[in-house]
Amino acid sequence: MDSNSKDDHANTGLMLDIINVKKAFGELKVLKGIDLQVQRGQIVSIIGSSGSGKSTLLRSINHLETIDDGEIWLDGVRVNQPGMKGLAFENHINSVRQNMGMVFQQFNLFPHLSTMDNVRLAPMKLKGIGKSEATEFCMELLEKVGLEAKADTYPSHLSGGQKQRVAIARALAMQPKVMLFDEATSALDPELVEEVNLVMKQLASEHMTMLIVTHEMNFASEVSDHVLFMDQGVVCEQGPPEQLFSNPKEERTREFLKKHLQQQ
Amino acid sequence: MNFDFTPVFENYETLLTGAGYTILIAVLSGILSLVGGLAVALTTLYGNKAFSYPLRFFIWLFMGTPLLLQLYLLFFGLGQIGILIPAMLTGILGLGIHYMAYNADIFRATIESIEKGQNEAARSLGFGRMQTLWFFIVPQAVNRALPQLGNNMIIMLKDTSVLSVIGVAELVLNAQFEIANTFRPFEFYISVAVIYYILNLIMETSLNRFEKKLEGRR
Amino acid sequence: MDFALMWEITPLLLKAAWITVTISVLGFILGLLVATILVMMRASAFRLIRWPARIYVSVIRGTPFFVQLLIFYYGGSAFGINLDAYTAGVLALGLNIGAYMSEAIRGSLLAVDNGQNEASRSLGFSRTQTMISIILPQAAGLMIRSLGVLAVILIKGSSLVSIISVVELTYQSQRIISSTYKPFEVFAVSAGLYLILIYGVISFVDWLYNRYTRYLSH
Ligand SMILES: Nc1ncnc2c1ncn2[C@@H]1O[C@H](COP(=O)(O)OP(=O)(O)O)[C@@H](O)[C@H]1O
Ligand SMILES: [Mg+2]
Repeated sequence: MDSNSKDDHANTGLMLDIINVKKAFGELKVLKGIDLQVQRGQIVSIIGSSGSGKSTLLRSINHLETIDDGEIWLDGVRVNQPGMKGLAFENHINSVRQNMGMVFQQFNLFPHLSTMDNVRLAPMKLKGIGKSEATEFCMELLEKVGLEAKADTYPSHLSGGQKQRVAIARALAMQPKVMLFDEATSALDPELVEEVNLVMKQLASEHMTMLIVTHEMNFASEVSDHVLFMDQGVVCEQGPPEQLFSNPKEERTREFLKKHLQQQ
Repeated sequence: MNFDFTPVFENYETLLTGAGYTILIAVLSGILSLVGGLAVALTTLYGNKAFSYPLRFFIWLFMGTPLLLQLYLLFFGLGQIGILIPAMLTGILGLGIHYMAYNADIFRATIESIEKGQNEAARSLGFGRMQTLWFFIVPQAVNRALPQLGNNMIIMLKDTSVLSVIGVAELVLNAQFEIANTFRPFEFYISVAVIYYILNLIMETSLNRFEKKLEGRR
Repeated sequence: MDFALMWEITPLLLKAAWITVTISVLGFILGLLVATILVMMRASAFRLIRWPARIYVSVIRGTPFFVQLLIFYYGGSAFGINLDAYTAGVLALGLNIGAYMSEAIRGSLLAVDNGQNEASRSLGFSRTQTMISIILPQAAGLMIRSLGVLAVILIKGSSLVSIISVVELTYQSQRIISSTYKPFEVFAVSAGLYLILIYGVISFVDWLYNRYTRYLSH
């Protein structure tokens, strides 16, 4: 079987297919063979204690980290291409990334650009969309996250919650096939968490395919179709939220949930 | 194109003597610039106006003009007013005074930044003005200024080469004596560069170690 | 003070100051070019490209500019190259300051939070697009400042090309001093011109920096 051909994955219907992914930083094995399938329109949450490799997995999907072994497929296209080098890979990964929206814990808005420019920069420069058209649909995205009034404001004048909503709009502007959220609300003051969660819930209701790393168990159980519990670089347990949260099979999952549900 | 480094090896003693003087000059000018720099900084901050204003002007003037021009002023100026001293001494003075201005500027900034918080604390404990300065502010300022001062000293080591222009027999001038005899400028200047590179490396690494040590104690 | 003499020599020194300006401007432009190449080399994925750049920067920073200039001017004959003094001066200045500029530029680029790079790359921007649209605008403020400091060092350093007989401000000052024996008068005029140049550049850089940061912070 030729795993590099597009055909064998075109018909699986999977939006994301992650097969036996391994990643180490020097001696430290962070991902020890992760498998994960995300269907089109599915919402998958990843929970797990700090240091279990959740961020590394998400960053690997976006190729911000280079994996050591395994396969990552996005809608029938292989993301990591071990044989491909140099400019060819650079071009390949740039086009793959345009199909993925990534939301960071620290927002990473571009501080020298206005809210509107943050959102419309990528569609204008990468898709060649004209300014007026880009402005129009980016304004719609800002309305969607409730920030149309802040279009001309610069990031330094926004609250954390507002920043993260702009960051979500910025990622959506490329009309990605999948959205990756890495603890999108962890850096926020408690009272600002809900406004970001609301935006994410709305995306869920529109059947956006989403992969969400979160430490909020309530939110995960509310929004997800499927939940993974990661521990020390492996997927320890997974299942629908009702089952995983109320009736976990693994001892480690139970311990983790006990700690985290108490906190909330 | 032909290279011949044998004249360099035959006359290596001249170069080593020159390097010795380069080190001596750097050490003496360095001490002058550091001690003088601190004195100038304290005077500009706390001294009588009759001294502090001229010294501020001195810092401004000597940071805003090239070393070589200042060396010419000293070299010809001393002769003009009838002071005849060896070139070596003129060179040490010129280099020391030049970097005195730079060091004073650094001391001034660090003393000012430390004074803000520390002064009130120490004075409230009952220390006098001068005691506060000597026991609290100056030691901390020196400590904080060390990386920048060290940087200045590294630049100064390389600037000792400029003293050859006013006839100070350091590394470059000694090399030039031999070049006049052997007509091998390229070979000698390259060797001179190698010696400077080594001296610079020794100075940088020992300063780095010294700073690390101090940081550990802080 | 012989004011008549000062008045008399001003036109000559002004003309020489103009040479200081042109040689510094050309050296600065060449330096920027050299620095850009060095920064790109040091960002390369290949060790064989990174290392020569690192060694170049280390050698230039580890040896005196004065010696580099001598090698450049007098050493060229070993290769059958004979540059005129002005060209040799500009080349030596540019090749020297370029190494320092590359460090300044690299430092400013590295000071931008890596999250900016990741956010941009995750949207699908290429390395080049990320550099131009995201990183450079954020690094530019720091870059303006550190390149400004280097411009001042360059102007002061340009005085050293007088020793290869480029008729710039320090050369002309020294010549007039040795023919008139009036070191103080000549220094006063010449220092005045240097001060105008240097504090002019410092004010311009401050203005540019403030304007840019105000533009960035809106
Ligand atoms: N760039 C890196 N270099 C070395 N170690 C890293 C790097 N990034 C992450 N790690 C380590 O990998 C482990 C997993 O990190 P991460 O994926 O961030 O976990 P999580 O997001 O689940 O908290 C941690 O022990 C972390 O210290
Ligand atoms: Mg994480």
